Amino acid sequence: MYLSEDDVRAIATYTRIALDGDELRAMCRDLNQIIESLRPITEYDLAGVAPTFHPIAGLSNVMRDDQPLPGLERQAVLDNAPESLDGQFRIPPILGDEGGDR
Amino acid sequence: MKSLAEVLQSWEAVIGLEVHAELTCLKTKMFCSCAIEYGASPNTHVCPVCLGLPGALPVPNRAAIEGIVMAGLACGCEIMRDSMFYRKNYFYPDMSKNFQTTQGPIAFCMQGGLDLELVGKAAEERWDLAGTEPLDVGVAQGYRTHIGITRIHMEEDAGKMVHVGGSDGRITGAAYSLIDYNRCGTPLIELVTEPDMRSPEEARAFLQKLRQIYLTLGISDVSMEEGSLRCDGNVSLRRRGVSELGVKTELKNMNSFKNLHDGLAYEICRQAEVLEEGGSVRQETRHWEPAQKRTFTLRVKETADDYRLFPEPDLAPYHLSDEFVAGVAARLPELPDEKKTRYLEEYGLPWPDAVTLSSDPALSRFLDAALMDEGGAAAVKLARPLANLLLNEVSAWLASPQAPQSLALAAFSPQSLAELAELACAGTLSSKQVKEVFAQMAESGTSPKQIVKEQGLRQVSDVDAIQQVVAEVLAANPEKVDEYRAGKTGLLGFFVGQAMKAMGGQGNPKLINQLLEDALKG
Amino acid sequence: MGQLTLSEYRQLSVADIRDGIAARQFLAADVVEAALTAVEALDCQVHSFLEVTGEAARQAAAHIDQALAAETAAQPAGLGTLAGVPIAFKDNMNLEGSHTTCASRILENYHSLYTATCVARSLEAGGLSLGKLNMDEFAFGSSTETSAFGCTFNPWDLERVPGGSSGGPAAAVAAGIVTVSLGSDTGGSIRQPASFCGVVGFKPTYGLVSRYGVVAFGSSLDQVGPLGRSVADVAAVMDAIGGRDPLDCTSQHLDVKFVAKELLEAGVQGMRIGYVPDFLELDGLTGEVKRACEAAMANLEALGAQLVPVELPNAKAALAAYYVIGPCEAFSNLSRFDSVRYGYCAEAAANLGQQYEQSRAQGFGPEVIRRVMLGSYLLSAGVYDTYYYPAQQVRTLITADYARAFECCEALITPTSPRTAFRFGEIADPTSMYLSDIFTLPINIAGNGGLSLPVGMGDETGLPVGVQIIGPQFKDDQIFRVAAALEAVYAGQGSVSLAPLESILAKTGGDVQ
Repeated sequence: MYLSEDDVRAIATYTRIALDGDELRAMCRDLNQIIESLRPITEYDLAGVAPTFHPIAGLSNVMRDDQPLPGLERQAVLDNAPESLDGQFRIPPILGDEGGDR
Repeated sequence: MKSLAEVLQSWEAVIGLEVHAELTCLKTKMFCSCAIEYGASPNTHVCPVCLGLPGALPVPNRAAIEGIVMAGLACGCEIMRDSMFYRKNYFYPDMSKNFQTTQGPIAFCMQGGLDLELVGKAAEERWDLAGTEPLDVGVAQGYRTHIGITRIHMEEDAGKMVHVGGSDGRITGAAYSLIDYNRCGTPLIELVTEPDMRSPEEARAFLQKLRQIYLTLGISDVSMEEGSLRCDGNVSLRRRGVSELGVKTELKNMNSFKNLHDGLAYEICRQAEVLEEGGSVRQETRHWEPAQKRTFTLRVKETADDYRLFPEPDLAPYHLSDEFVAGVAARLPELPDEKKTRYLEEYGLPWPDAVTLSSDPALSRFLDAALMDEGGAAAVKLARPLANLLLNEVSAWLASPQAPQSLALAAFSPQSLAELAELACAGTLSSKQVKEVFAQMAESGTSPKQIVKEQGLRQVSDVDAIQQVVAEVLAANPEKVDEYRAGKTGLLGFFVGQAMKAMGGQGNPKLINQLLEDALKG
Repeated sequence: MGQLTLSEYRQLSVADIRDGIAARQFLAADVVEAALTAVEALDCQVHSFLEVTGEAARQAAAHIDQALAAETAAQPAGLGTLAGVPIAFKDNMNLEGSHTTCASRILENYHSLYTATCVARSLEAGGLSLGKLNMDEFAFGSSTETSAFGCTFNPWDLERVPGGSSGGPAAAVAAGIVTVSLGSDTGGSIRQPASFCGVVGFKPTYGLVSRYGVVAFGSSLDQVGPLGRSVADVAAVMDAIGGRDPLDCTSQHLDVKFVAKELLEAGVQGMRIGYVPDFLELDGLTGEVKRACEAAMANLEALGAQLVPVELPNAKAALAAYYVIGPCEAFSNLSRFDSVRYGYCAEAAANLGQQYEQSRAQGFGPEVIRRVMLGSYLLSAGVYDTYYYPAQQVRTLITADYARAFECCEALITPTSPRTAFRFGEIADPTSMYLSDIFTLPINIAGNGGLSLPVGMGDETGLPVGVQIIGPQFKDDQIFRVAAALEAVYAGQGSVSLAPLESILAKTGGDVQ
């Protein structure tokens, strides 16, 4: 067992996904099974091996010029939003019963 | 609560700063081509990238990378040849992707530092001068101290939120919030200092110095009011003589130099009170409330934040070549410290004038331009009167409502100001006339010589001419002469006024005064 | 000139359409009407489309026909490489004016405000956009069963899955509804469905096609590529969509033309083609796939290629590395789906935290939640050093394995998938499903290009089998050279990529949603 149900609950909270009791149990079982299958990674001797975060070797310094381009039309942007008001995105209170962070 | 001075006798304050500056002088955002514009109508500078629309990818702005390298060079940092962007993952609605693109363990700029010079009252705030160098600038005494810079890294700013329905726009008790993503993705550089500051004045001096450097580099408008310069402080106390660090608190909302000083000062006193009452300081984030002059708990940090940091796969790693760094270095303007040394050594300006002028890019640019055509000795002779004009007349005028937004937009040229300084220096104009000519010059842009010529403004320093006026004044007021001679010497002012009036205000006041006194002695 | 019948239309290649229009044998308008007829007649059975953009396709066709009508000797119409070619896009590709759902409830009502570079280039080349194609939700899956909008059916056998995650793109091409399609491939998501549906599917070397506008799954693994019924069709699409895009930092210049005759007709005489003996002994590889792969190898030898055994000793860790890197990147990429700016929003939440948690719980399907949670865990403090960082080190070793293998050969051949298309619901356990990609995902880790080529029917199931041709990084032309040569052998044997109408129009046997 890599993860307890409490661990899974904490991950779900961080990842902002509400899981009920049954879902939590099933997720706990699935995650433990998947993590077990990742074992080969932990069994390697990797001393001195550099990581490959970017698959194209030697790719570096890709940049653009500081030249402005027109953006999107505001109304079209807000039309996709669940809620908007006065040209802005509207959201429910950030600090509610459970509070927010930051 | 004890005063700061009392507290610092038995406690050493340990202060570090985190300073965020938006690179507002760039045309576009960090990872997209949206324009940067403060105060634009909400959500009018947004695109798929800065809105975090599905499928959008970031492309870094070259000018931003050049900007941070410039800042690093100016702050004595090592420019790291190899670094990467990382994703810092946490949910917050003003951050459209729910991760912030920032840097990891290696930033573009590492391990630098700035020297601070504190004199007079600001220097007195520090109780113990260990590790500092004494400084005597003639007019005042103080010390010089080095503040280490841990790193400067590149990241992106978040959008802006308005909290509606609570009191004072606070997040607590709000009914809902509104989000504007115009600011989201603005290039942001974060500088982190070592915990090297020992007084709130040092923190203030550091931030002022950094602000002047960024201004000089032309990378940011560094406005604390508009939020393009933001500063958080970390502060802890330890008993004098103890080397172990105490528990620190992080202080936010210090949005002016005064607030930075006062917030830190309050927090030092608060911590001292807690500790002296046998309590312990909680590791937490506190909010400085200037109106109430106290700090409040914002958030208690029990465990370290876990941001799931990992290298950003959508952005290529950086390998900065020597040529790139040298190219940026070649574009570095003269920095405030170098300028100050030049003003002191080449122009012989007094220390306070040299400090003030070198730290104000607009004034110093004007001074240098005005003196550009002057050779060695002439420049030295003109520098002081010019500095006086800039620090008095010009500064006062710039603060007035009729002045333009910046000195660069003034109607008069640096050469005109040099001309005025020359007239003042040669004694051709009285100080009152200098003010008048400056006012006209500022309004119309006409050259001082022209104004003097057109209006016949000229200080009369001809001894014979003044002698004649003095004689006339005495002859016209025989009773007053007698009274004076009887001991009522306060009447001298009356005679000076009469003489000045007779000369249309153009007489050399010093000479008038002297010749009157001689004549009255009779 | 005249209308195209459904069966005529289904047979047409990219070149047939382009040449036919240029020669005035038919109009682009005829092609688009035939394509829309095919959608109508066949997609009710196959369910490969999530959205049909018929009007846009008609307009694009009219544009081509007008240009041709106005053509003069002095001013040629300048037909693009994909002129008049019906194409459709996996629904993780933004097309302005369409929905882009990623087959997820969370994006059900999302309108694209911009167009992905690969889509834009397809359309600029003259392609007629028929619409958006079904997929596994957010591309997490190997069967298209995780789509929130229902399954896609394999045109060769409607009781079976089309593979995934690009199940829609593979099925639409195999059914003859579109000529070509675009898919995306993070661990085999183009190649595995191509093999299940008997079509050609190509995942280019990472960086050859811009990812801008394609909803990200695993940013360092994702690559866009074409599916078609012939190597030449796929090559033509590659020529249209490949190359550097200033909007994607990882995109690279492309200086070859894949569709060139000298490449596709070069043959394999004297080429060294590697195979991995360990792969052919792998548990789970079915006999029919093994035999089909060996037959393909024998065919290559018969064409004059030299077969050389190579070793990829670290490939055994590729699956684990993939299930670390992919979910970690996905966790971060999917954080933006939060109900604030767009997407599904749970009602009546008391505060933002609840709205986040309920919207994401209700908007994401179980496989998405599983992978996002897994990634979140694997990146957390302490755990990062146990899995994520070592996985990226293992990636270095796997990449080096391929580089070493390509020192003694110009291309590799492997099976594409260990088995042919399975039945709906047959594989329910996530870790078993992950094994579907065992031959394909190592090159997503290493970045190399790979193409799945149909090599006839399995001798047990009678379903299409594919082999995978892999090339060195950025030498994808070598893949096309081998694939075209091998394709000719199978064409000579009467093998086709087009599923017969009778199998598509057969009544659906299984009781599927």
